[in-house]
Amino acid sequence: MIQLCNVGKIYPNGAPALHNISLKIPSGDFVYVTGSSGAGKSTLLRLLYCAEKPSRGQILMGGRNTTRLNSRNVALLRRDIGFVFQDFKLLHNRSVFENVALPLQVQGTNKQEISSRVYQVLQYVGLEYKLQRKPLELSGGEQQRVAIARAMVVNPRLLLADEPTGNLDQALAVEIMEMFNLINKSGTTVLIASHDQEMLQRFPHRSIVLHDGNITHDSMPPEPEQQDNI
Amino acid sequence: MNRLRYFIQRTLFSMRQNPLLCSATIGTVAIALMLLAFFTLIVLNIQNLTREWSQDIQVVVYLDQVPSEQKLQQWIDEIQQYPDIERVNYVSQQQAFDRFHARLGQNADLLEGLMPEILPASLEISLSESARSRKGTESLIDLLKSNSDFHDFRYGQEWLDRYDAFMFLLKLIGIMAGGFLIFATLFIISNTIKLTIYARRDELEIMGLIGATPMFIKTPFMAEGALQGAIGAGIALAGCHVLYYFFLKNGLAALLTTTSIESIKFLSIEYQAGIILIGLLLGFTGSLLPLRKFVRL
Repeated sequence: MIQLCNVGKIYPNGAPALHNISLKIPSGDFVYVTGSSGAGKSTLLRLLYCAEKPSRGQILMGGRNTTRLNSRNVALLRRDIGFVFQDFKLLHNRSVFENVALPLQVQGTNKQEISSRVYQVLQYVGLEYKLQRKPLELSGGEQQRVAIARAMVVNPRLLLADEPTGNLDQALAVEIMEMFNLINKSGTTVLIASHDQEMLQRFPHRSIVLHDGNITHDSMPPEPEQQDNI
Repeated sequence: MNRLRYFIQRTLFSMRQNPLLCSATIGTVAIALMLLAFFTLIVLNIQNLTREWSQDIQVVVYLDQVPSEQKLQQWIDEIQQYPDIERVNYVSQQQAFDRFHARLGQNADLLEGLMPEILPASLEISLSESARSRKGTESLIDLLKSNSDFHDFRYGQEWLDRYDAFMFLLKLIGIMAGGFLIFATLFIISNTIKLTIYARRDELEIMGLIGATPMFIKTPFMAEGALQGAIGAGIALAGCHVLYYFFLKNGLAALLTTTSIESIKFLSIEYQAGIILIGLLLGFTGSLLPLRKFVRL
């Protein structure tokens, strides 16, 4: 589903962020992009959701070359992608319901369907009883669950998460990661940028390690038997 | 339909949610447009007054001999065929004498013993408004000269030169000051709206991330800008009305040295609608300019 061919990114100030990245992520995969701060994790995600254009190379998503999309087609592409960020990116002046309903309103979904789908997805993340609250009235974990609900309400084919557990304590981080696993099992491709090694070990999946903008490691998780032996 | 409802709701909701920013924009538009409306009011009143003055612009053809009725009618018909003629008026020797008498006022006794025949009869030719200039007058005289019976003309050359210069200056000031005011207003409004958009840049970013097209993101902001512009223009007109009634009417009458306060008029309904439209367009354009910078997918 996602294919990067010799992708490089140099920012306008001359700072190189990624060098010659080539990788394939099949549909339905669960992939971590990991590495230290400044390794290029967030840049890679930004390239995937077309917030940046690569300085060189091509990016194919669902067979479409995203480097050649105009702004309207970028918008249409993003309707197939769910986003979860470390800082949640919720609108504080709107209720939980309104935040989650936003992607559906953007797509022109009718009012009744919006109500039913938002309620369903809020039930899924366990926040159906807080739908009239404003984000700042919720805990960090709850805000992240609202962000996940907003990402899931359109049944995206791809879920991108940038340090989704970075602002949460251990227990909440585990809860959020379990939610990502469930989402992945429903068929959504999940790509998480994270440097939280404990979570990566606790929920093992394919892991792409970046260092100074280069892929230094691309490893599949150990098989269950091997894990048992360890 | 869902989208239209969404845009209307967003526009009104956003104005309600950010009362300070909204008031700042409306206030800026109101002050800027009040200046513009005020300026327009003054220029239009000066123009009205000069239009009254220009009614005095006419060409007088002095006749060597009193023409027969038939001849006179023939001349009048001929002159009325010329372009840009508003009116042709025959002034007989008696009428000229009476006017002179009236003009002399208390010195009228100087005319005692004189006969009306000392003054020539004349044709007073008024030009239509668009031709009341030196150029229009000279074109008419060229045409009149083709008739050999007409050779003595008076048309207030010096007065015409001064009138033309004044009208040119008035138009120049109108265009320059009006243009400057509109650009200054656009600049101020654009910057005020830029601040409001900057304060909501997170919202723009999030909208972009969830798949909103640039037009979907911009529309509520542009509608908000246009609505604020129109409201601001309405307040500007109301403020201008108050100023007009309490200060401007008397002030302008004194300034333009006209005795009749009734001749000082407020902006016509067309101009008022124009100011509202300018407010609406300024608000719309003022939002569009910063949005182009902030909304990039």
